[in-house]
This record gives sequence, C-alpha cells and structure tokens, in this order.
Amino acid sequence: MGKSGRLITNDIRALRFHQGEMTQADLADRVGVTRQTVNAIEGNKYSPSLEVSFRIARVFDVPLERVFQYGED
Amino acid sequence: MNLSFQEKSLWLRFVSLVAVFGFYFVTALPAHARDVMPQQVVLFMLVVVMLVITQVVGHIVIAIADRHTETDERDRLIELKGTRNAAYVLATGVFLALGTALLTDGNFAFTHVLLGFWVLAHLVEIGSQLFLYRRGA
Repeated sequence: MGKSGRLITNDIRALRFHQGEMTQADLADRVGVTRQTVNAIEGNKYSPSLEVSFRIARVFDVPLERVFQYGED
Repeated sequence: MNLSFQEKSLWLRFVSLVAVFGFYFVTALPAHARDVMPQQVVLFMLVVVMLVITQVVGHIVIAIADRHTETDERDRLIELKGTRNAAYVLATGVFLALGTALLTDGNFAFTHVLLGFWVLAHLVEIGSQLFLYRRGA
C-alpha cells in the first residue's frame, strides 16, 4: 500500500481521456472495483494490488508501466 | 459531500451506537450499585434490540437509495485497518476491566468498564474507517 511521499504515480486520467473520456464509473465496472477506488488510485491516494493494476492495463490495452510509474527517492 | 454506500453504512452504525449506548450509560450509570441490577439487565437488552432494529431498518433504507453495495480490495483493506485499531482499544479495555474487578467490590464497575470499552472499540473501528475513506485509503 502506498505511503505518504508516494513514489508510485499513474497516467489513468490521460488514458481515460484517450479512450473517449471514459468515466471513472466505466473503468471501475470493467476492472471490478468501485468508482471511489478508481478515484483514489487516480489521485495517488491508494496503490492497487498487482491484480487490479494488470486489469487496468488490460482495459487500456497498454503495458503495466504505461499505466503506473515508479519514481526515485 | 458524496458518500459511498460503505460510508453511509458506517455513519449509520456510528450514530446508532452513540445514541443507543449513550442512552444506556446516561440511564444506568447514575443508578450504580455494588452489582448490576435486574432493571439494568433489562435496559441493556432493550438497547441491544433498539440497536439491531435501527441498523437493520437504516441499512434497508440506505440500500434502496444507493444500489452500489458491492465492495472491493480497498474496502477490505480499510475494514482490516479499522478492526486492527479497535483490537488495541478492546485489549486495553479488557486489562482495565480486569484491574477494576480486582480493585472494586461487586460486578457493576467491571461490567460497565468492559461494556464501555467494547462500545469505544466499535467507535474507533468505525471512526478509523470513516477517516480512511475520506483520506482515500
């Protein structure tokens, strides 16, 4: 789980935009989580499990590292 | 404030616990004696029934208004963190209740210290979850 000073960031907002402004609710339905969880992930407040991360990448049909980035200290 | 089903459910549990057990303690504690009196046992059973009815009816109303009742991994994580925090409070309460049992006559003080910490543990559990939902996780 992410901590304060999070190193994991993501491009979900941009990826949703390029998918015809897919809503958080649509993404949540396709991934199998709640809209609130998508919102928390997008805001870097919650780091999802590896399984959910892969499911998000699969929805956008991109590699995992295109969705999530791990920064340096 | 846009609340999820889980947050509405937690607020319902929090408010009903405070109201019902607040009523119990305000009524029972001034009438303290050496031991728990039969009328206090009856009062306790009544407040438990009130709590169950309030929460069942409240959850039915919330579920009708908000059909997104499903949970996911983040909900389970938040629930686990809340339960962990509650366990610390309950463990503290158990030891304080044991100390109370050793230092006081009768069962009134022991019973109510234990019951008080049980209620407090639930409030900490729910409060922790509400905080985590507002923070994100």
